[in-house]
Amino acid sequence: MSERRIIPLVTRPPVITRAALSAPPPLSLYVHFPWCVQKCPYCDFNSHAVRESIPEQAYLDALIADLEASLPQVWGRRVQSIFIGGGTPSLISAAGLERLLADIRMRLPLAGDCEITLEANPGTLEATHFGDFRAAGVTRLSLGIQSFDDAALARIGRIHGGDEARRAAALAAKHFDTFNLDLMYALPAQSLEQALADLEIALSFAPPHLSCYHLTMEPNTAFGAKPPADLPDDDCSADMQEAIEARLAQAGYQHYETSAFARPGHRCRHNLNYWAFGDYLGIGAGAHGKLSSHTGIVREARHKHPNAYIEGVARGDALQERREVGTEELPFEFMLNALRLIDGVPPALFAERTGLPLAAIEPILVRARQDGLLEMDANGLRPSLQGQRFLNTLLERFLPEVK
Amino acid sequence: MQHIRNFSIIAHIDHGKSTLADRLIQRCGGLADREMEAQVLDSMDIERERGITIKAQTAALSYRAKDGQVYNLNLIDTPGHVDFSYEVSRSLAACEGALLVVDASQGVEAQTVANCYTAIEQGVEVVPVLNKMDLPSADPDAARQEIEDVIGIDAIEAIPCSAKTGMGIDEILEAVIAKVPAPRGTLDAPLKALIIDSWFDNYVGVVMLVRVVDGVLRPKDKILFMSNGAQHLCDQVGVFTPKSIGRDQLSAGEVGFVIAGIKELTSAKVGDTITVLSWPASSPLEGFKEIKPQVFAGLYPVEASEYDQLRESLEKLKLNDASLQYEPEVSQALGFGFRCGFLGLLHMEIVQERLEREFDMDLITTAPTVVYEVVLTGGEVIKVENPAKLPEVSKIDEVREPIITATIFVPQDYLGPVITLCNQKRGSQVDMHYHGRQVKLVYDLPMAEVVMDFFDKLKSVSRGYASLDYDFKEYRTADVVKLDILVSSEKVDALSVIVHRANAVYRGRELASKLRELIPRQMFDVAVQAAIGSHIIARETIKALRKNVLAKCYGGDITRKKKLLEKQKAGKRRMKQVGNVEIPQEAFLAVLRVEDGK
Repeated sequence: MSERRIIPLVTRPPVITRAALSAPPPLSLYVHFPWCVQKCPYCDFNSHAVRESIPEQAYLDALIADLEASLPQVWGRRVQSIFIGGGTPSLISAAGLERLLADIRMRLPLAGDCEITLEANPGTLEATHFGDFRAAGVTRLSLGIQSFDDAALARIGRIHGGDEARRAAALAAKHFDTFNLDLMYALPAQSLEQALADLEIALSFAPPHLSCYHLTMEPNTAFGAKPPADLPDDDCSADMQEAIEARLAQAGYQHYETSAFARPGHRCRHNLNYWAFGDYLGIGAGAHGKLSSHTGIVREARHKHPNAYIEGVARGDALQERREVGTEELPFEFMLNALRLIDGVPPALFAERTGLPLAAIEPILVRARQDGLLEMDANGLRPSLQGQRFLNTLLERFLPEVK
Repeated sequence: MQHIRNFSIIAHIDHGKSTLADRLIQRCGGLADREMEAQVLDSMDIERERGITIKAQTAALSYRAKDGQVYNLNLIDTPGHVDFSYEVSRSLAACEGALLVVDASQGVEAQTVANCYTAIEQGVEVVPVLNKMDLPSADPDAARQEIEDVIGIDAIEAIPCSAKTGMGIDEILEAVIAKVPAPRGTLDAPLKALIIDSWFDNYVGVVMLVRVVDGVLRPKDKILFMSNGAQHLCDQVGVFTPKSIGRDQLSAGEVGFVIAGIKELTSAKVGDTITVLSWPASSPLEGFKEIKPQVFAGLYPVEASEYDQLRESLEKLKLNDASLQYEPEVSQALGFGFRCGFLGLLHMEIVQERLEREFDMDLITTAPTVVYEVVLTGGEVIKVENPAKLPEVSKIDEVREPIITATIFVPQDYLGPVITLCNQKRGSQVDMHYHGRQVKLVYDLPMAEVVMDFFDKLKSVSRGYASLDYDFKEYRTADVVKLDILVSSEKVDALSVIVHRANAVYRGRELASKLRELIPRQMFDVAVQAAIGSHIIARETIKALRKNVLAKCYGGDITRKKKLLEKQKAGKRRMKQVGNVEIPQEAFLAVLRVEDGK
């Protein structure tokens, strides 16, 4: 047998220097509402089951105090979108929501066409408030339908049924020009036909935006600890994904992000700002923020537990964590977001948002293109179809090497 | 010298040797209670975790006997596993007596018998002890009978004890004094000290454990190594209690350590005799047989750039493990690595584990193989210790494989399955004897079968009751072939194995199917094939993964998603990229997990 000599190549990463950003990225505001009627077994977001009642007033006070204390960090910057997420923010009273938005408007300059999204659950009580939410200034409703099938909803621990889901979707369509329906597929015991049936019902409400998520077993959740035994296998869930994508394309939806589909003009601007590595201030329990300045990019997180948060704000210390993103982490953080976009981002955006030259990640880009995971031309840096399917494989390559 | 007793403990794994040693040390106050850590003589983490002893250790104990006199008892702990049996004979060379510890409920085991015979051959007085008497299943009479039947020594006075509860500890110490002879030697004679063991200490250099046979050794003595004439200045002498304690001298009959500022372990060879330059001995003591590695495997760094680190780590390990051998090797699939020689499978596992733990190496280990003798058509005989290096069939006249003689002790209930196993493994029966509850089986077996999975199989068919001891017997002509594995049509040399022709097709199929399970699905279909020469005998397809993507990624908090991807990447770091396929470490040992055909 012939022996080929293999010379191990030691490739040294190029020395990277970061430049100050030429202009601050667009700014969004995220407001977290940490309560739910009941915690869902798949959910890994910061949510807490309501015990007796929600201390709405105290929490709204804390949010505004938190916002005020944060103002110097975003001074003079216009807010282009607001997202009130949770938890279940539709549990908030219409009056409370009105007050919150008014207090925000008083303190932050909002863009004229500022998108204001509220996450809502299809519970009967909340759905009656949809009109009031619209009147309070919410421009976009995102409805956590997940499924229209009673049995499937029960399996994933949702407290609403199929009928409530239908009623809520109809009300959302009645009150909002733009709204989103969240659907999940690959649910326990779900067949391809059932997943598509859910989609058909959703389409019957003509939602301008649809999010279709593969049910994921997240660590630190009930499902993560003990996954249901009858989850569809990888091949079956891949079939579902492909069928859903095909059906939505046929129905005139553009697939613009890993799990998001929209009619033209209805893409979620708030989420687009995340994917384009924009800035956002996050207020509320456990909210995360990312803010750029000429000295660097900072990530911060508020105290997670509602009480700890309320007390922290009162002390003048809402933050649980604040850290500067290291130069070596920036390529991954940028790509983790940007490559979720089907059309990707303009190549120049990398330098614009990270302060790093694209050359800093040249070897990774070259290899990813050779492997057919990435496409790049003057207009865009985007995942190929293969890259979309194997996004984790692609993203992983941008992680800093550790040893 | 009349008040010195040197003894060791012979016992099967799990029969409570280390616990008994702990108990004896505690009784004699070698360590304060707060310093007692379970199994104090097993100093390596791996020894404690696996409950085995790898290196010999000693403890000098001071005991006031019932006759009112104070005795110095030197306990020399010995390893119990077959891989390390050579260490046993070395330890015994330093002793006049040995405690034979037998589990009163389980009876005699093969390893114990082998070690006990070694002791008897070396003229060491054997004192039988029945341990674990606290267990309800203890049957001292049956155990006594077995000792007499199998080993052939008088067991009437075997001391019942329980290392766990402390029962019988004083009786054991009294028996050591009464039955083990005091060392014989001459104080007023030229120094003769036998090196029983040596190891490397980062602070003081080489430490030698010696048994002084004649004469006296003191610090500042100029010492001479009789095998090579090397001279060193003796720096320190002392004993272990098991803490090291310096002494003014070591004299005839004593066991202790010597430090002489030696930097290389190779210059303090185990079995060599030390004497003093000013009054040298005329002839050395009889040394030990040199040990040759029996099992070979390739060790490769997962990251090619860590080759130098692996070499340095092996060098350091070798300082404390003279039986480890290694030389550089190149694999087309795995790049630069080392072919390493081990005493046996356990030794191999331990080396691998120490490299990973103590030196933080990520390793790929190839399947272990024995050394084949290949007679080429030209008549030349070569040794092949790497399946990938087996010459082409047309150049081979004959292949010979090592045969061992295995002695197995098994309770009668499990005799059938054990015999079936030995036959399956191409064994031929040499002897069979009934001894009370136990049967002693002697088989000639191809060593290649034993290094694969024989030991595990033996344990499983006998529910852990069978025990095994073996010795190399001879090289014998064998009808073997090289089985190659192709991944995505590329031959992966590191996966090649040498197998018996009769099993080749079956093994090839099983191996391909095992690899299909072990190699994770990739972005594309991967074909796994098994071949003998150019003849493909099995094919499996690892179907492509359809997707690998995080459905939901809340843009605000990326920390958890980042962690997940970091974990995924760390997992891949433990895989080896061969061509464009990522192969996990365990796949290279897949052949060990293949079941045998009938």
